[in-house]
Amino acid sequence: MSAAESTTVMVVDDHPMWRDGVSRDLEAAGFTVVATADSVAAATTRAKATTPQVVLMDMHLPDGNGAEATARVLEAAPGANVLILSASSERDDVLQAVKAGACGYLVKSASAAELIEAVNATAAGQAVFTPGLAGLVLGEYRRMATEPTPAGAEPAPTLTPRELEVLRLVAKGLSAKQIGRRLDVSHRTVENHVQATLRKLQLSNRIELTRYAIENELG
Amino acid sequence: MVVHIDPDATLPFWRGAQVFRFASVAYAIGAQIVSVRAQAPPGSGIPAYSHPVISWALIALLVIWSGVSGLVYAFELAPRPPTVVIELVITVLLTVSTVWVVRPEYYHHHQSLPSTFWITNAVVSVALLWGPAAGGAAGVGFSLLSLGIEEQFHNLVTDATTPILLTVGVTMGVGARIVSRAQQELSTAVRMQAATKERERLAREVHDGTLQVLALMRRRGADLGGAAGELGRLAGEQEQALRTLISEQATVPGVDDSTDLRTQLQAVIPAGVNFSGPAGAVHLPGSVVTELAAVVRTILDNVARHAGPDAQAFVLLEDLGGEVVLTVRDDGVGIPDGRLAEAEAQGRMGVSKSIRGRMADLGGEAVLETGPDLGTEWELRVPRAGKAG
Repeated sequence: MSAAESTTVMVVDDHPMWRDGVSRDLEAAGFTVVATADSVAAATTRAKATTPQVVLMDMHLPDGNGAEATARVLEAAPGANVLILSASSERDDVLQAVKAGACGYLVKSASAAELIEAVNATAAGQAVFTPGLAGLVLGEYRRMATEPTPAGAEPAPTLTPRELEVLRLVAKGLSAKQIGRRLDVSHRTVENHVQATLRKLQLSNRIELTRYAIENELG
Repeated sequence: MVVHIDPDATLPFWRGAQVFRFASVAYAIGAQIVSVRAQAPPGSGIPAYSHPVISWALIALLVIWSGVSGLVYAFELAPRPPTVVIELVITVLLTVSTVWVVRPEYYHHHQSLPSTFWITNAVVSVALLWGPAAGGAAGVGFSLLSLGIEEQFHNLVTDATTPILLTVGVTMGVGARIVSRAQQELSTAVRMQAATKERERLAREVHDGTLQVLALMRRRGADLGGAAGELGRLAGEQEQALRTLISEQATVPGVDDSTDLRTQLQAVIPAGVNFSGPAGAVHLPGSVVTELAAVVRTILDNVARHAGPDAQAFVLLEDLGGEVVLTVRDDGVGIPDGRLAEAEAQGRMGVSKSIRGRMADLGGEAVLETGPDLGTEWELRVPRAGKAG
């Protein structure tokens, strides 16, 4: 648990019971919970003050959703890695939060052990790619592929055949190691493919946002 | 969700009809000005009107009534049926009054005065209110009354009055009926859609909140054992009951009988099973959604029975546009090679046949991949009607 000891975490959730329970689990595993927050505003100011390495983010907040909160927290603390902790069917919100820069997604019904493993991975800068997140990202790429690109806009990012294959296997619940065995590559290679799909999506989202901002200023 | 639908679909017809009423009043006044100075027979020096002053009073009644009824119809100031009855009585009296105020030498060759073709308004009102049959009957009735007074029955075939009033009555009646019916259907459809949306929202809410907590209680309870274990077991039972309940709620079809497969799957899939899918809705006909959810449920039940205690199950939903693909996978013991007979004896192959058959009925297919220690993986494909190929 030496990795955990040096890891600072902020827990954002508007349910006090849940917030305390998660904080206790994290402290027990050796993480340092530097802040808790129950709103987007509180999360933003506390992220700036405490610069946590990992932010555990709920999707339902009284003054906004997790996507907004993710964007604002990352603005206030650019070094933080945001892990979404959500009930399972807030799917569109989760996708928006991931596009806004969150690097992982875990359902609230996950066990304490799964949570701790996910926070460790997030602190190390790895994407916590649950099958659920893979399904969302897969769906988003397919949605973008069917939508016509507006004139003058960057073409929507697309997946390479290998990335598509890997993403489908992740969405079906196979681990990186299992996928590596199936495709006869190392699990590192699998993880790189997976991360690439997320980075492309976030990059395209940033380009999109910038373009939107420029257009609105000019207009 | 507030849906505003004007209950009175025929209102635009009523308003339009009042424009016609205004024009017909202008015509009636013009006809009066011309006729009241006329002589019958022409050049004889004998006035056509026997009671010109009364005829002006009747025109005044016509104008006032037109104003009142026009406002009542256009702005719904009073219930329509009594107003239409009063309009019918006034129109009949004004038409019959021709006999009183005008001398027969004149009206035998002209239209009924002072009502003229203003009587069409009554036909229109009857048609809008009571439909094409009543409208047509009113048109024929007024035309016969008019021709009777003018003693023009012998011209029934050559005179345009009857076909025109009949046509006006029937077409306005049919138009009003069609619009009313369309309005009713639209409002039913909107209500159904709103109800379905609300059910889906409730199902989502219950799924995100209550079910998650119950699932958590069940798992934590199982870890703790003893009295807490008993509470956890009870929570698990309620979770299952609630899940079944919301899955039944969510199957109500929408307006075009298409429902969201994703919402439906999330409702029927037990808490321990991992579900992956796109962020947006995946719409398919309601019957296909129900059947697919049932097939997934069958496979998952089978996994729970045969895959072993540590097996985890995963469901992946993909919308490829032309087809929808569902993958149901478990990481359990799988079906060992050469053990198909045993598997059949266990009832597993029977289930496989049933799944393939049900998918074929939907126009799709089901492919099973399995092997020792590879778990089982069902891939279910359904084409989208109209987009297939």
